[in-house]
Amino acid sequence: MMKENELFDFYLKGEQLPNYKSLSEIELKELYSREDANRDEPPPAEFPYTRGIHREMYRKRLWTRRQQSGFGTPEESNERLLYLLRQGMTGLNIDFDVATKLGIDPDHPLAQGDVGLQGTSLATLEDMDKLFQGIPLDKVSSTLIANAPYSAIILAMYVLIARKRNFAESSLLGTIMNCAISQLVGPTYESGTRFFPVEPAIKIACDVIEFTTRHMPRWNCININAYNIRETGVNAVQEAAFAFTLAEEYIKRLLSRGLSIDEFAGRMAFFTSAHIDFLEEIAKIRAMRRIWANLLKKKYKAKNPKSCFFRTAIQTSALPLTAQQPLNNLSRAAIQTLIAVLAGTQSIHTTSYDEAYSLPTEESHKLAIRTQQIIAFETNVCKTVDPLGGSYAIESLTDTLEEKILALMEQIESKGGFTSCFQSQWIEQHLNNARYDYANKMESGEQLSVGVNIFREEDEEIKVDIFRPSEDMQKRRIDYIRDFKEKRDQRKTEKSLRLLYTVTRESPNANCLPFIIQAVEDGATLGEISDTLREAYGFQVDF
Amino acid sequence: MKEIKKKRILLGKMGLDAHDTGIRIVAKWLSDAGYEVVYGGLYNTAERICETALQEDVDVIGCSFLGGGHLFHTDRLLTQLKEKGIEGIKIMVGGVIPPADVVKLKERGVSLVFTPGTLREKIIEGVKSIL
Repeated sequence: MMKENELFDFYLKGEQLPNYKSLSEIELKELYSREDANRDEPPPAEFPYTRGIHREMYRKRLWTRRQQSGFGTPEESNERLLYLLRQGMTGLNIDFDVATKLGIDPDHPLAQGDVGLQGTSLATLEDMDKLFQGIPLDKVSSTLIANAPYSAIILAMYVLIARKRNFAESSLLGTIMNCAISQLVGPTYESGTRFFPVEPAIKIACDVIEFTTRHMPRWNCININAYNIRETGVNAVQEAAFAFTLAEEYIKRLLSRGLSIDEFAGRMAFFTSAHIDFLEEIAKIRAMRRIWANLLKKKYKAKNPKSCFFRTAIQTSALPLTAQQPLNNLSRAAIQTLIAVLAGTQSIHTTSYDEAYSLPTEESHKLAIRTQQIIAFETNVCKTVDPLGGSYAIESLTDTLEEKILALMEQIESKGGFTSCFQSQWIEQHLNNARYDYANKMESGEQLSVGVNIFREEDEEIKVDIFRPSEDMQKRRIDYIRDFKEKRDQRKTEKSLRLLYTVTRESPNANCLPFIIQAVEDGATLGEISDTLREAYGFQVDF
Repeated sequence: MKEIKKKRILLGKMGLDAHDTGIRIVAKWLSDAGYEVVYGGLYNTAERICETALQEDVDVIGCSFLGGGHLFHTDRLLTQLKEKGIEGIKIMVGGVIPPADVVKLKERGVSLVFTPGTLREKIIEGVKSIL
């Protein structure tokens, strides 16, 4: 933190930047010129798709405006979803509360106090029905933010409400996040291991992929959450390398099950971060498209061009957003949204300015959508494809990032791949080092944040509307789930759960989806199905 | 010469919120500043935090909340400490805490509340002031 006299020095020196490095420590040159990027990249829609996966990109179809949403009861979340659709949101992005994401019901002792806080509480088929009331499942695409193994249960519920409403599975549009390692709060060891064993979770993720590949051709079978990886504090190079080597874990396991690469690779997708380093973040996405295309074509012998498409949703990173002077976050998020657009993403969640205080209010949610609409409809940046392509700096950074990402991927592969590095806590070590490093840079002023370590206003009075969960929401959810468990046909539920248990134990290669669908249909809750799976794998949650 | 005992601090997360970047950074800062930091990890109940605090004989308990569960879990912790008759341990809370709740936490007996963007020196000064 600068003292006042230092601050005046800082102005008088002409506001010297602390360094000329990108966030991932690439030293930027004073000037980039032809020799830094002396070749023409193939046009969009041509291998390796550096400039974009579609020829016309936003001229033909804008990115999907897909704001994450979910809180309280399924009914409350449904209201907010409909509100956002009325504001011009074009795709759903539904977040579940942490209890749901850890496979425990609202009445579980560990869930007390956390039900419905970070997403919608959801435990039964009825809940899913209420969540999607009034939403046409064959027209609006839904992203379900559910991690493996619980993704299998959430998908089962979604399939069942679609059946009930007479939508063919083949008509369903959307994405299940479905990753066992990257989803919760990024690949931190404890969050990824305390509630379910890692390998069985990955096995169940592969079951989901196999199921959607066979029955839901318009559905994205997995989405590697590079965003959450990045939010732990790692840099752009680590974000990309961790995400790709993690994606390869699924590819390898699916191939060894006998699936062909072109059966599923075209439906694998990513969710990446737009941090605030403008040039580097755009270059990162371009480099990721190129790396993924080469990886799929050369290493995994994909024949279908679509298998080589790096398709990504982008969320504007919450890391640079500050609790201090919260309205500044509107400017940051607008710049980050522009990064996502210039990088050629498929969908965007713009993070709300009140991120450092609570879940978004209706107003801040709407402002996030409006930010995207202003870029889409007023700035004209969407009227030509990859407008920054050919910029010496962007092309050179794309090359540099590609090189660094590939080197780190190779290092991870040489250590036995991502899962092995996760299990040995090599990843954990890297995350922690990155966190300390980021904190140190903020302390030393090597990394600047307006309102935090520069232009800070002491004794600032914060005026920000806070989103609050509704009164008694948690109690209502607990009462509901207890009541639900009492009223259902117990014998039917128990029979289905027993079958799931037996199949899981005795037929380790069987796909669990049909049995989970049956259990959900017969009244089993998300927590009960999760417990059945845990028990079958000989695992107990320690608390 | 009598050795000066390092002050001991238990840091951990309660409930289901697993956002642990901040608390890990604070753990590092405090340990670099000369405190003995016991890191209790994720998914702690109030009972577990109290048990660990007793076992480790700590002077301060610090918990962070980024998911909105701060009032519920802090209340549970304070109740648990009272029921067990544990006195003299100071409580600090960090994370995404709305301004009105900072006041509420302090009224309930929390000594320090740190919100996002708090600088290292403020945290170290704060801890020093309550010990």
